[in-house]
Amino acid sequence: MDGSGDNNGDLGYQNRAESVMNCPSSGMNTNPFYASAWDPVVSLSRPGNFVGSSTGSQSEFSNSPFPIVMENPGISNTCHLVRYPSDSGFIELVPKFPGFGSGNFSEMVGSLGLTDCSQIVNAGCPPNYKEANNESTSHGAQRQEDHQLSEETTIGALPNGKRRRRVAESNSPFDPNKNAEGEFQKYPSGESSDSAKELDEKKQKIEQNRGANSCGKQVVKQTKDNPQSREAPKENYIHVRARRGQATNSHSLAERVRREKISERMRMLQELVPGCNKITGKAVMLDEIINYVQSLQQQVEFLSMKLATVNPELYNDVERIQSKDILHSRGGNEAIRGLSPGTNSHPVFTWDFSTWHTSHSKSQSTFFSSTSCYIR
Amino acid sequence: MKRSNRLGTGFQSNEEIRKRNTQRIKTVADRSMARVVGPRKIWSRALLFKLRNRARIQVGLRKRCLVSKKKKVLRKEKKVQVISREPNRADNLRKLVPGGDSMDICSLLEETAHYIKCLATQVKVMQSIADLYST
Repeated sequence: MDGSGDNNGDLGYQNRAESVMNCPSSGMNTNPFYASAWDPVVSLSRPGNFVGSSTGSQSEFSNSPFPIVMENPGISNTCHLVRYPSDSGFIELVPKFPGFGSGNFSEMVGSLGLTDCSQIVNAGCPPNYKEANNESTSHGAQRQEDHQLSEETTIGALPNGKRRRRVAESNSPFDPNKNAEGEFQKYPSGESSDSAKELDEKKQKIEQNRGANSCGKQVVKQTKDNPQSREAPKENYIHVRARRGQATNSHSLAERVRREKISERMRMLQELVPGCNKITGKAVMLDEIINYVQSLQQQVEFLSMKLATVNPELYNDVERIQSKDILHSRGGNEAIRGLSPGTNSHPVFTWDFSTWHTSHSKSQSTFFSSTSCYIR
Repeated sequence: MKRSNRLGTGFQSNEEIRKRNTQRIKTVADRSMARVVGPRKIWSRALLFKLRNRARIQVGLRKRCLVSKKKKVLRKEKKVQVISREPNRADNLRKLVPGGDSMDICSLLEETAHYIKCLATQVKVMQSIADLYST
């Protein structure tokens, strides 16, 4: 963070920024302030959540008066961050927000680099949101899970059941990174104006209040949201939130997570196996996968037979080579690249096909090939 | 896989030679594929383990055949961890993917995806090598 923040020319801006940071630390004490408009940053109940670099400046934060928060209408619309990422990068980001009070969050996000944006978004995004997105993009899910897991450590200190994830009232902030709109609707009760420690009670009341204001789909069945998935295991677990109208038993939650994992993997497989786009249903899909794997293995066998016949060998030294582990040497030979289609989210791996030594007689020897193939 | 005793007969039909070479090539292909992946995946570990065991058995057989033709010593392969489950639709898949017996469905699917990718690449490489030789 740039030091004391005095470097910002705009004092009002600085105060706003401070107050944003300040809210979590003193949010407990001033519940009535948050009654109406502002979705405070709740989960930052401990100043320790901020990085050490910011702790020095915490003291001056605490001095800034609260009314500034309420005076500034911009913040009420914009400050919807739930959880700051645990790195100092975010602290540095705050002064960078151009029109922190005036602009909306998407502008702020847009001004940052994409990585920062994804950080914030992933940080601020509720796990349900993440979970909902897990269904849509496996790649996104990987990222989200990583972020989730990295955040667990910071959240572990928070008391049970007091974690509250909010989503911005405006869907736009999270759109760039997620396929937001449709899934956002699923989120049961994103908005609540209640802040801090007594989340359980206030949450219920305010959820009911706000539920009426939120989009139509969410109006129905407020009460079921109340016994939220706070029973979800804490600390280094993936946080799951029960969706509307779903059982909130911890067993069924775990079951649901497992089911979604499986369906996500099935979708991945569906992309790999050609001609399976229209298949719905795990059973048929499994059969197709089995057939495809069988056909691939048969192809390998057929090709090896073809190579055996095409290559007139009287003596095949392969076992010797294998036993000496020469296969692993990449003795600078042919490289066949670009064999497989391009973009893939899988990591790169190099492949040495084989080092062959074929000899017709003792005097002759021919080296066949050691092929490296890069798959991206 | 039974291997004919080269030293014993001294003569083999072309068919047998071809079969043997086929087997060898396939082994090489599988082994190199698994080697590249390394211990990162369950299936590659299982495949390497299986191939290594097979090689050991064959070497053992050959050595023993040197000593005596009649004795056939079959080394008992180490039993992979057996997990008893109810018959599942995915059992066939477990048989196909190396090391699939000891995986739960979730990781089985993941391993299958990776295995499919590697198999497809192996097919391509072998195809290109065959083309190289045939032209």
